[in-house]
Amino acid sequence: MGKKKRSQPDLEEILQRPWCYYCERDFDDLKILINHQKAKHFKCDRCGRRLNTAGGLSVHMTQVHKESLTTIENALPNRAGLEVEIFGMEGIPEDVVIAHRQRVATQFVQAGNQPMNHNVNPATAGINSAKKPRLEAGSDLKKRLAEHKAKKAAVEEAAATDTASPVVDTPVGQPQSYPPPVFTPPQLLPGFAGPPGPTGLMNMGGPAFNGYAPPYGQAPTPFQAPSFTSPPVPFGQQPFEAPPFQVPQNAYAPPSQYQTGLPNIPSRPFGANLPDALHQVSSAPPPSMLQTPRPNSLPSAPGLPQRPSFGAPSVNAFQLQQMHQGHIPNSSLPYADQPKPTNGIPALASNVIPATVSQPPQPSVQLQTSTEIPKEEAKPAESSIEKRSKKDKDKDIKLVYSDNDISPEEKLSKLARYAFHPVRQEAATAGA
Amino acid sequence: MSASKLNLIAYLYSTDKPTDQFEVTDVPSDIISSIKFASSGRKFLASSWDRYVYVYHITESGASLAQKIQHRAPVLDAVWGEDEDVIYSGGLDWDVRRIDLKTSEQTVISSHSAAAHALAFSKDHQILISSSWDSTINIHHTSTSPENRHLSTLKLRQKPFSISLSKTKLVVAMASRALDVYSLESFVEAATTSKPSAENPFLVFEPWQKRESSLKFQTRAVACMPNDQGYASSSIEGRVAVEWFDPSAESQAKKYAFKCHRQPASDGSGIDIVYPVNALAFHPVHGTFASGGGDGFVAVWDGITKRRIRQYQRFPASIAGLDFSSDGKYLVIAVSPGFEDGKEGEGAGEVRIFVRELNESETKPKAAKE
Repeated sequence: MGKKKRSQPDLEEILQRPWCYYCERDFDDLKILINHQKAKHFKCDRCGRRLNTAGGLSVHMTQVHKESLTTIENALPNRAGLEVEIFGMEGIPEDVVIAHRQRVATQFVQAGNQPMNHNVNPATAGINSAKKPRLEAGSDLKKRLAEHKAKKAAVEEAAATDTASPVVDTPVGQPQSYPPPVFTPPQLLPGFAGPPGPTGLMNMGGPAFNGYAPPYGQAPTPFQAPSFTSPPVPFGQQPFEAPPFQVPQNAYAPPSQYQTGLPNIPSRPFGANLPDALHQVSSAPPPSMLQTPRPNSLPSAPGLPQRPSFGAPSVNAFQLQQMHQGHIPNSSLPYADQPKPTNGIPALASNVIPATVSQPPQPSVQLQTSTEIPKEEAKPAESSIEKRSKKDKDKDIKLVYSDNDISPEEKLSKLARYAFHPVRQEAATAGA
Repeated sequence: MSASKLNLIAYLYSTDKPTDQFEVTDVPSDIISSIKFASSGRKFLASSWDRYVYVYHITESGASLAQKIQHRAPVLDAVWGEDEDVIYSGGLDWDVRRIDLKTSEQTVISSHSAAAHALAFSKDHQILISSSWDSTINIHHTSTSPENRHLSTLKLRQKPFSISLSKTKLVVAMASRALDVYSLESFVEAATTSKPSAENPFLVFEPWQKRESSLKFQTRAVACMPNDQGYASSSIEGRVAVEWFDPSAESQAKKYAFKCHRQPASDGSGIDIVYPVNALAFHPVHGTFASGGGDGFVAVWDGITKRRIRQYQRFPASIAGLDFSSDGKYLVIAVSPGFEDGKEGEGAGEVRIFVRELNESETKPKAAKE
């Protein structure tokens, strides 16, 4: 939804899309992601209960069902482990984040787009890379965009010299801020349930927000739209506990729209935190969460449901999957390169093995003879279909059982311990 | 508006009926060769390489072993017969036998010249089909006296791997990617009227369709759709194909195959370990199907919308067999040591049987993709 209107999609905003560690699907909105995780990955197999985290599910399984959880359902094969504690975008290991970004960026560039130029200071990049992955608030992004544009000219040559992978470095190097976890406006309820505060503020929720359209059009969706629930009290009075989040490198300059749009908010007391606060408001925790704020977790916000748009910007879910297939040696994924979104579910590709009732297909015949070399056999099969980014990533496979002519059972039957002796047979037949 | 939609979604998820899965005790001591529900859906049998056929009853508290029937050789397949007191079995002693569970009486109804590895029973036609590694199929009429049951023997063009019956068709998957579809009715008729002679002991009968498998590797399992429209087949190379009987171009254009039951090698080499897909079973009500692989995973697929509906937690060893009860309420899963190149009979893992009580959402087709 975010980018379609623009002639040139922005890598930045694609990178900013929340995505699921377990299945690499990306989402418009963090809340959708969290809901996705609860429904797809943290749902108890046995009773359908949706837990918040893998750890929670594990405990639930142990305590309620006396079972141990070993894998996360519906996860990509190498992501199914329980070692990492994931909640939304939190907890994703650094290397996975980098790999993900690389893939998105590569895909982006392959798609013929120009990456935004960013000034990336390698030193800061290194520092920042030690951080956890963070979801960027829309306001931050907006600010950074402005910042980048301002610096664009200055960075051009730097970007030019950075031949290796300018795109890749960019996201890592950029500080990304996360909504502060424990900011909990006391009276704030999901939606517009708050007491009638300053009407100007309340109106912000809907139409007034349109004033933000241009910047947000570029922004990733999290901060998009309808349920901007404004706090009934000025921010300055909110018990705001600043989380350990990274303040952007440059002095923070909130976009002017904020100030005009939210006159009641004292902009300075919060300083750089303001945009986060705003974002936080937009994703106000549900009452249950208010009572038990989870440190370091994103509040799951009921107020801002967004339709997950599957035709995500320039990198749709399927393409992502594709790219990831290379990285993720696996797959329960379909093997045809169908350009259709998979929804994170290994959709069955409508495949094209040309065998027909009457006509033996050429490729198949060749393949059959190469049973001994499983490495080679997968390739012709797939190359005969379409090949794009998948080409170099198409991995080798190893068959657990590769005898094409003798069934495992028949092999087994030749073992001495299963041998059936005709002598015994006669005796037994006589007995029977 | 969208908030309420979200709430609705959350509500739907949270009200899923509880599902249950329990493990069966008194399991066979060796690899399970097949597992089948009786038509009542409250009994199932398991045949095993340990030379026994086991009959279990599902009770309130789980499933209990009701009976075990000794054979003189490893049993490669067993099916329920005309009622729930009759089982047919085939095994490494080449015999096809009828077992009366009430009396434990065993009657050999025919013998192949190699192991009888697969059986299929058609309730509609009262026909039992047995296939053997001697590349023959025996056809038996089960409502006549035991001595006269064996009607005739059909010579196949290749060694069979798996057979499956639908209401009107018999599908035989064979070596060299051969796959034949027989029209059951005319097959039975031909078998009934044929007069095998000494010089020509085999029935002469052409399949309705001679096909080449859509899969490039050895077929492991074949299963007919409950609606009699087509079948699914699986291979040793982690792949499943779905095809339709209707020879028209548009029906044939619908067929497809997909990869599954593959796991990345644990050494991080980027190689995919590809497991055989040992078992396929269609859900009798919804027409979705489950696949079970050497990787220990069971997945439920919607063959029409081409989507995976569920994948269950990894089972402790290779999946040897799967079957849905006829009401679709249970899925029984046989877990056994798997087959691996060069390690015949040495596969890791132990024999287990799980019964899964299904809730609707696990097997119901999903809405087509938008």
